[in-house]
Amino acid sequence: MNAIEIRNLCKNFGEKQALVGLNMTVPMGSIYGFIGENGSGKSTTEKIICGLIHKTSGEVKIYDREHTDADVRANMGVLIEAPGCFPNLTVWNNLMIQATNLSIKDKANAVRKVLTMVRMEGAAGNKFKNCSLGMKQRIGIAMALLGSSKLLVLDEPINGLDADGMRIMREILTDIAKSGATVLISSHILGELEKIATHYGIIRGGKMICEMTADELESSCPRFVALKTSDMKKAKETLKEKFKRVEEDEQKEYLRVYDAENPEQVVKYLYDNSIIVNEIWVDKIGLEEYYINLMNGKGEA
Amino acid sequence: MEKSKELKFENPSFVSRIKSMLSVDFYRLFHTPLFYIFIAIAAIIPAMIIGTTGMGDSQTAALFTNTWHGIAVEKPIYVIENIGQYANMNMVFIFGGIMVSIFIGHDYKSGYVKQLFTTHAKKQDYLISKSLTCAFAMMCMCGTYFAGTVLAGALVGLSFKVNAGSLICALLGKVIMSLGWASLYTFLNIIFRKNFWISIASSFFFGTGILIIAAAAILGNSGILNIFLYGSSVYACLSSNFLSVIICLTCSVAWSVIYNLLGTYILNKSDVY
Repeated sequence: MNAIEIRNLCKNFGEKQALVGLNMTVPMGSIYGFIGENGSGKSTTEKIICGLIHKTSGEVKIYDREHTDADVRANMGVLIEAPGCFPNLTVWNNLMIQATNLSIKDKANAVRKVLTMVRMEGAAGNKFKNCSLGMKQRIGIAMALLGSSKLLVLDEPINGLDADGMRIMREILTDIAKSGATVLISSHILGELEKIATHYGIIRGGKMICEMTADELESSCPRFVALKTSDMKKAKETLKEKFKRVEEDEQKEYLRVYDAENPEQVVKYLYDNSIIVNEIWVDKIGLEEYYINLMNGKGEA
Repeated sequence: MEKSKELKFENPSFVSRIKSMLSVDFYRLFHTPLFYIFIAIAAIIPAMIIGTTGMGDSQTAALFTNTWHGIAVEKPIYVIENIGQYANMNMVFIFGGIMVSIFIGHDYKSGYVKQLFTTHAKKQDYLISKSLTCAFAMMCMCGTYFAGTVLAGALVGLSFKVNAGSLICALLGKVIMSLGWASLYTFLNIIFRKNFWISIASSFFFGTGILIIAAAAILGNSGILNIFLYGSSVYACLSSNFLSVIICLTCSVAWSVIYNLLGTYILNKSDVY
């Protein structure tokens, strides 16, 4: 059984087609990174899953049940855009309100537990309006976690966070995943997503163009030998005589040799041609580059 | 969080859901300055009306000759002849409308509804809970309006002569009408939920009884106008009896059911956020 299964999902806003026959499968227990450009339909899909907006056509199943079933939503935690909190109430009171709406019996304990999970124990008495962006996002996660949610739908939870905020958020999400919950997370910050996601879905123009596991991504992302020399131009020309695919990185800081067997082979070849290598290492293209290449129609790599 | 992936599909009963939602709405009501401001306004308004016009010097005719005119008119008249027949406890329902608009407007502005409707909450529960909470707030406003009227009447020295039974029936009728009015305003705020100012304007527009004024222009001073909420409010006058209370109760409940069903239908058919 999958946590979320979407088939031929369409959503029109008047004349505009936001989703055009979207298919999506989120396996149980996965951290599903949902990637796409602005306006590609990520938030629309997530809002439909959560029951905030209606679909035009198609099928959305959550744990094999209709996504509109109110009892299915009792197992779902949601953070869409920003947490829906009353600014003049404290963090504690806002969470207590959500706990009440979820009909949780031991509300105080449940709130204390989620505050600990999101490292916000010390800020419970703060008014929501006085919290920083990072704190607000963590409160949103805490709200989503109330009621021991088995499925979390998080829309851009790491946007706007500083490095420390991102690290904390990453730790929180990893802890959640370890507990066995399924996490659907959309984000533009692909470097961060890559560190935690087990599955990926790439959406474009309201259509899912690619779904894969982290292992599939790993095998789709070619490895290369990266190197720096004092004369990059000469090194590039020399390497091109022996290797088929030699490229400069985007910032033109180092060279990439894709078809070298190992770094020693490259070092030896350049040394034989009187070029000294300053730095050399083995690397692979990341999710961000894979995604950009895919969007630019360059195939997988 | 438990380590297991076991799924339990809980289906909370209607009573449990509505209990949760009402406790949140009442908590919010008692923790917002808005509520206290409006119950204070409800006390000040009759005091101001009676205080500034009740002394009746050579230039200004007294608006009321009896304190209880600040609560209700003598007889059920749907077409008013002077402003004094308009300026009574029915004004609570105009200010109450503005309060409801602000109260529900906060739900949308803060994103609370988004958070709420991603839980097991149902649209109908939302309407019922809001209507009941806002009706309670309006009933409180009726209470302070009554207190303000009595105090101002005593200070100005107006007569308190009245048939006590009729006065109680009139007061009960108006308090009961709060539910119908709260449901109407909740419904209007559901329709205009994406535009805060239009919802306030619409509440004010309907609160002033524009429907009955238009209907009265056609039908005259007829009892059939009780089918409107405002009509029943007028019927709750100083010559009321037990039947008037029954009419107000029937009208209030009927309109709240109609508005709640319509509001639920609209919310179910449209995108929440």
